Amino acid sequence: MNTKVKVIPCSGIGKVFGLMAREAVLKTVHELCPDKSETVCLAYIVTGDKEAKEKIEGCDCITVDGCPKMCASKNVLITGGIVKEAIKVLDTVKEHKGKQFGTPTQLDADGKEVINEIAVKIAKKINEIS
Amino acid sequence: MSELKVGLLSCSGEECLGGTISRLATRKVLEELKMVGTVTLCLPLYLAGGEEERNFAKVFPTISVDGCDKLCAKRSTEKYSGKISGSIDVSKIIGNENALNTKTVRNEDLEPEHFQMVDEVASAIVKAISCISPDSCSGKTFRGCSCGGE
Repeated sequence: MNTKVKVIPCSGIGKVFGLMAREAVLKTVHELCPDKSETVCLAYIVTGDKEAKEKIEGCDCITVDGCPKMCASKNVLITGGIVKEAIKVLDTVKEHKGKQFGTPTQLDADGKEVINEIAVKIAKKINEIS
Repeated sequence: MSELKVGLLSCSGEECLGGTISRLATRKVLEELKMVGTVTLCLPLYLAGGEEERNFAKVFPTISVDGCDKLCAKRSTEKYSGKISGSIDVSKIIGNENALNTKTVRNEDLEPEHFQMVDEVASAIVKAISCISPDSCSGKTFRGCSCGGE
């Protein structure tokens, strides 16, 4: 059985915070915790396909959302994932007031700095629960 | 007064390169290749209760942009909002092997060849938009994606 922690970002396309969620998660699963974590396409989860459901149902998940709508967290819960931590990008962004993070297409240097911080938070949680 | 609007709904899949290309091509059309008033719609909001997203796709023509042949964006849009006006399967443009590449997914890992793929997909989106009847682009005012984007 695949016991890797599933880390799922919202990847919201309208604001930079969606990109930050996406890039922070990808940094975590590709670089920081590749042996303990993996991501699952949120769009696939949204389809409600049986196979998509089987990927996360009953699994430990960490969600990362870029806006208060909390789409990643809600969709994972609806599909049966166990959300161990629902990370909000804005919580970290608040600690960097006045900085420019980039656009929904490309992160600036400050944006990259913040996603590194978020990735470390995700990795810490992964190490706690795995 | 009616506005010209077309919705673009990208899968933005996180598991493979196709998702990244779908996202970047959608953004490119939105930012650089303005033809009519294009807006992006957040796919996850469809299931999380985004009535505004669902209603937009019912009223305005919407084009899905999917990174692989699972066609998640297309199927979800049709499930919640009815028939869509166009569908782009990125894997058919850049090839299945590229689309399903799970190693190169992050923006920072992209090479010039990947941005060439973005351009090709963006061109396909523009072509799909141009195939939509102008009459079907007129509708009520829409304020944009609920997550705050354009």
